[in-house]
Amino acid sequence: MDLQKVDLFIMTNAKFFEAHHLGWIREQLIQLDDAQWPTLQMQQYKDPTTLLIVSLLGGSLGIDRFMLGDTGLGVGKLLTCGGLGIWSIIDWFMIMPATREKNMAAFQNLLA
Amino acid sequence: MKRIWQPSRISWPDHNIMTRTNLYALVLTACCTGWIWIGIQFPLFQSGQQHEVGLCLIKQVTNVPCPSCGTTRSVLALVDGDFASSLQWNPLGWLVGTMMLITPLWITFDLLLKRRTFIHFYRRTEGWFKSKWVAGPAIALVLANWAWNICKGL
Repeated sequence: MDLQKVDLFIMTNAKFFEAHHLGWIREQLIQLDDAQWPTLQMQQYKDPTTLLIVSLLGGSLGIDRFMLGDTGLGVGKLLTCGGLGIWSIIDWFMIMPATREKNMAAFQNLLA
Repeated sequence: MKRIWQPSRISWPDHNIMTRTNLYALVLTACCTGWIWIGIQFPLFQSGQQHEVGLCLIKQVTNVPCPSCGTTRSVLALVDGDFASSLQWNPLGWLVGTMMLITPLWITFDLLLKRRTFIHFYRRTEGWFKSKWVAGPAIALVLANWAWNICKGL
């Protein structure tokens, strides 16, 4: 793929991925066919900041985990008052990396 | 020469997928914590000295009970053999109590026999809950239970 497009993608979407993902993503995009560009543009990623806000407000109910698609963990959090409050607090710090990992998986699925 | 993209060359490690070890460790830790918590609270519950525990962030911040407030007291009543008052405290206590009893045994069985039945069950249930026909009624039930909790003033 055109280097300009690759850099545009990286600049636009860098916040959705971990910093250490970006090198790998760039490498994959360079090898990608130009015809894949529209598909790549249509893929929506979850914003880690939004998830952090949801986690702060509704973490005890597991809403953050439901939003991420981790239904099992969401039910676990809901049933245990956010893991006796401890899991909720841990997730305030874990939810942003987890979101970025999920985005990475979505990106990977797109390529596969 | 231009390199052609091949799907088979993608090899990013998939960290976010719940592995068998992660899931079993998480569930066992949760169950152990639950049993320890019940063990600490049970003598207080029996002697009627149990105070409002105050671990729930929602209850602490807003003074309104969350959907699962009362679950500890419900499981304690279950352990005490008082099924009716357990249901009265919070019906979710029955679910949590059953899970606390069954999952450690199930996981031990899986680990001993090197099988994966529990994680298959977990993934199947998770997929099942993604259907709106299951998720919708489940959400409605949780909301109804929440309303009941607020009415009871837990």
